[in-house]
Amino acid sequence: MSNTAADTEIDMDTDTETTTTTGESQEEVKAEWTDYDFAGQPKLSVENLNVWYGDDHALKDVSMDIPEESVTALIGPSGCGKSTYLRCLNRMNDRIKVANIDGSVELDGMEIYDTNTNLVELRKRVGMVFQAPNPFPKSIRDNISYGPRKHGDINKGFLARLLGQDDSDEEAELVERALKQAALWDEVSDRLDANALGLSGGQQQRLCIARCLATDPEVILMDEPASALDPIATAKIEDLIEDLAKDYTVVVVTHSMQQAARISDQTAVFLTGGELVEYDDTDKIFENPESQRVEDYITGKFG
Amino acid sequence: MSEGYATENALVQEESDLYDRGLDAAIALTVVSFVLGMITLVKVVGLATSGGALTNFFVTLLAVVIGGVGVVGVFSWAGVIDITSQRVRGIALGGIVDLVVLTALVTVLDVTLATVLGLLLVAQAAIVALAGLASRFELVDTAPNMSAGLLAGGAFGALGLLVGAAVGGTLVGFDSMLWILVALAVGAGLLILTILPREDVGSTLPTALLVGLLGLVVATATIGVGWEWNPNALSGGFTGGAVIPTFVLFGSLLSNWAAAKCRAGFGAPGRQYGAFFVINLNAFMMVSVMATIVVFVTVKGIGYAFHGFTIGAPAALVVLLPLLVLAVNWARKPAGTDAWRTGARQLVRVLPLALVGSLAAVVASVSIRGSALTYPFTYTVQVNRQPKVLDTGISVTPDPTVGALLLTFSALLLFAYFGRAYGTLRGVGRDPSWVDTVKQGVALSVAAMAVLTVVFAVLSPSPFGLPLGGTVGLVVVVLGAVVAGGLSVAAVATPLRGGAGTSLGEGLHDYAQTVVIGLSGALALLTAVVFLEPTAGVNPSVGPADLVPIVALLTAVASVGVSVSAGHARRSAAELRRRVLGEEAVFGLATAAGALALLGVHVAATGANFTVVGLTVGTKGSFSWPMTMQSYVPLGAEPGGILPAIVGTVWLVVGATLFAVPLGVGAAVFLTEYAEQGAFTSLVEIATNALWSTPSVVFGLFGAAFLIPRLGGDRSLLAGMLVLGFMLLPLVLITSREAILAVPDEYRDASAALGVTKWETIRSVVLPAAMPGVITGVILGVGRIAGETAPLILVLGSTLNSSEPIAVLDGFTFTAAPPFVGNPALLAETASLPTQIWAVIAAGVSGSPSMGWATAFILLMVVLAFYAVGIVSRTFFRRKLNYE
Ligand SMILES: Nc1ncnc2c1ncn2[C@@H]1O[C@H](COP(=O)(O)OP(=O)(O)OP(=O)(O)O)[C@@H](O)[C@H]1O
Ligand SMILES: [Mg+2]
Repeated sequence: MSNTAADTEIDMDTDTETTTTTGESQEEVKAEWTDYDFAGQPKLSVENLNVWYGDDHALKDVSMDIPEESVTALIGPSGCGKSTYLRCLNRMNDRIKVANIDGSVELDGMEIYDTNTNLVELRKRVGMVFQAPNPFPKSIRDNISYGPRKHGDINKGFLARLLGQDDSDEEAELVERALKQAALWDEVSDRLDANALGLSGGQQQRLCIARCLATDPEVILMDEPASALDPIATAKIEDLIEDLAKDYTVVVVTHSMQQAARISDQTAVFLTGGELVEYDDTDKIFENPESQRVEDYITGKFG
Repeated sequence: MSEGYATENALVQEESDLYDRGLDAAIALTVVSFVLGMITLVKVVGLATSGGALTNFFVTLLAVVIGGVGVVGVFSWAGVIDITSQRVRGIALGGIVDLVVLTALVTVLDVTLATVLGLLLVAQAAIVALAGLASRFELVDTAPNMSAGLLAGGAFGALGLLVGAAVGGTLVGFDSMLWILVALAVGAGLLILTILPREDVGSTLPTALLVGLLGLVVATATIGVGWEWNPNALSGGFTGGAVIPTFVLFGSLLSNWAAAKCRAGFGAPGRQYGAFFVINLNAFMMVSVMATIVVFVTVKGIGYAFHGFTIGAPAALVVLLPLLVLAVNWARKPAGTDAWRTGARQLVRVLPLALVGSLAAVVASVSIRGSALTYPFTYTVQVNRQPKVLDTGISVTPDPTVGALLLTFSALLLFAYFGRAYGTLRGVGRDPSWVDTVKQGVALSVAAMAVLTVVFAVLSPSPFGLPLGGTVGLVVVVLGAVVAGGLSVAAVATPLRGGAGTSLGEGLHDYAQTVVIGLSGALALLTAVVFLEPTAGVNPSVGPADLVPIVALLTAVASVGVSVSAGHARRSAAELRRRVLGEEAVFGLATAAGALALLGVHVAATGANFTVVGLTVGTKGSFSWPMTMQSYVPLGAEPGGILPAIVGTVWLVVGATLFAVPLGVGAAVFLTEYAEQGAFTSLVEIATNALWSTPSVVFGLFGAAFLIPRLGGDRSLLAGMLVLGFMLLPLVLITSREAILAVPDEYRDASAALGVTKWETIRSVVLPAAMPGVITGVILGVGRIAGETAPLILVLGSTLNSSEPIAVLDGFTFTAAPPFVGNPALLAETASLPTQIWAVIAAGVSGSPSMGWATAFILLMVVLAFYAVGIVSRTFFRRKLNYE
């Protein structure tokens, strides 16, 4: 990519100022800061992941393992490739024509970029909440039960009734549970049959979270799930994320340092140009980051 | 008026004084004369009409307006719809007063319609001038601007130029150049008169001058009906018949604008109110101009098309009932929040109700009075190439018979309507376990009866010589009907019995489940019974009475009872209960409609009439419409109708749609969702566009040369369907492709991220979202192919002599050997509306031209009916996609 040279220059400046890493090559430093050892099993392990959008090298050589049953936060300035990274984890980037992906991502030790991977199964296991809310133009109820119905977990409709396999009660339970988890139930419980497009932006966002939870995935990828929410709803979503971490693996992109510090177990910092600069325990990142650039970013000196 | 208006809403509700009322009447007068202008323009009534005929015309007009305003007034008074705008009331009442005065005038004076129109214009001019002067001399409270503005000035200046040129040319002739001076002087005069004085004078006086001049010219017959002007440079000429209505339209628009400005007190509100009327009347005029072709065909064809049209009053009421329900619902919708529009919107909302209501009242009066209402007319036919005048008419008779199909159709419409409005009563009320048992029991019985129905239908009622239909079938039918009756009684009795001390509303609330299960169970059982009856060949009766229709009637009455009591209880009920009871009321109405539909189906299937309190449901209702219900009779005195052609066209369109829509939508899905976008897809796109613009006769040639040899060698309905289908295909493909492309990618991403397969995504998210666009394409396409003539002449034949409508449904024959199914009807030649018109009018095949016009009119109706189906389904899908 064209601005690699420029990046190096900036790095050199930083380096000469801080002198912490003088003499060491970039690669080694990066390997050191991002080589994060955690207790427990990695749910996802990413190895040398590169993404190009056409000629634009959006993600550079990212390697990081994500532990199971924990919250991993991804932070970094706008346009640094957080969403790109997240989309690689359930292969949503495959849907972008210009995207070119290279590297390896393993889910429970199975390579997901294998040609034989069943994408439908993969995405059932790795759910995603998008950066922009995207509810279907259907009723609130149908939005939530859409996934389970298409997976055949819930049967509804005329034929189901005729065959005596109508799961309307299960559906109602599921809808209520998912909406309660996403802190939306109180607001919409009396209009479940209303069209989801009639909800406010923040409500739509929570609906999308509920929709993702309803399919019961193992890994949940969330791209700024609280970006359009008021403090109360944000607090509820944060509680939910912490709650989910007991059984699920959650990866969450956020622009709020405080949020990352509050909810995550480990934090990965991406910086402009698509590099993973540092990856460690959240406390470590926020209290004593290794890299000067990360410290600058966290303290607001560098965007 | 100018001071202290807080909101526009307060303004339109403000009490009117005499000045306001006068202006409301003047606005009504301008609207009346505008409508008269439209009517005379399309020559529904001649300009030279006078005397008794003119009086009759005005009386009719008065009756229509009074009927409409009266019905709306009654509904407003009853609180069903709330008309708060004083202006709407003022204009409505003013319209009545105006028409009363006009009717009185034409009765007393012996004048022609043209003179009346001229006088109307003069009167408007006078009122507008008076109102403007009253405002100028501060007799009334207004808030005029400093000037009427340059725009108005320019417009009046230009009008002045025109009028000046005409006047100058007439006075001094076009030979000398003097007329230019006159034109310039008049134009400049009007310009100055508009711009310089205050707004109240500037917008009223020029209007009054212009309109007054137009009125005088017409009233004094300077330009009369026979007037004609043929300028040398033009090949055509102007006739009074066209010029007078134009003057009237134009003059009433102008004075309407000025009167509306006065009414709102000039200034910004005045401009707003004036613009509102002008824009609306203008839109009305545009639509009318476009509708003229329709009106022309209608005027030419409607008389013949409705010859011998007869309907019994109860049957007419059955037809009107769904319309009445829809009109009430339409009128109840809130008319928007913008108070300026509220007034007019309320009018738009209540007009259908007024129309249907007054029609229903007339029909009901026929039924009560017991004497028929007839509108007689004559028309001319060619018999043996000689014109022959026939007397006929349209009549509503007091005959108490209602046709089974008519009843079924109307009731089904209502059933669908209420059924859609009915939400769900999920988890409401107690759920005693026996309700579940009943649910399952009903479901099982219905399934069993369905199996029996199929067995009897396939094997005949007495398979292998065993009289199963008469024994098993009869018992099942009787039992089913009895249980259905029991269920509907239980549905009503349970909440009535209720607990001690509970009110009716609470009882209904507590036993909501019981009511719903009872009524819907009764309906389900009855449905099964009604379909089992004819296949089993039984028709059980208890004594002299039919069992099944009695139960159906009982269920209907019970359901109406439930809805009435639910509606009654609703008034005093708390919020949650209010919602539930509202749904219950609608549910009850749906069930009632469903039961009535079943009654109709029963009568249609068994062929037995059913009479209750003087009303009869019979297979043959008192409804006759020779043009659409009979076949063509060549060379007869009674020319009969065009049923075969109607049936032919309907089958052609249905067949073409069935062929083209799945193929087109499927191809669009493939091209947009599956195929790699590139050279291939662009090529297909170009090819489709080319195919769409291919002349239809080429399709016809292809059909004649390629399809017909492969389809039995003769022109046939199937070949027609296929050729029209080929024509429809590209449009369906293009519009579907566009609609699918317009579905946001976010939906696809969201669905994919949930682990849903591509096909499921397309089926459940993409296609529903694209549906309105697809339907739009089909609507447009159907409009084109339904009237297609050239290819049909080549592949379908242009026969006039099919004396029987083609029986496609009955034509299917099943065989044991391949191809297992055949249908000779599809391979037969038949008539269609466009080819029939072509044959009668262009090729001069026997039949009178008026028959051709009538056929054209009916073709128009058929196309409109297809449109209606398409538009309703499109609205349905749009509603589902958007929040409303
Ligand atoms: N579909 C795409 N096509 C082309 N380039 C893309 C596409 N999506 C992202 N990019 C580019 O990749 C880079 C990283 O984008 P990404 O969306 O991953 O950033 P981000 O870190 O999520 O930013 P934000 O915090 O603003 O959401 C950006 O330079 C962006 O322009
Ligand atoms: Mg992003």
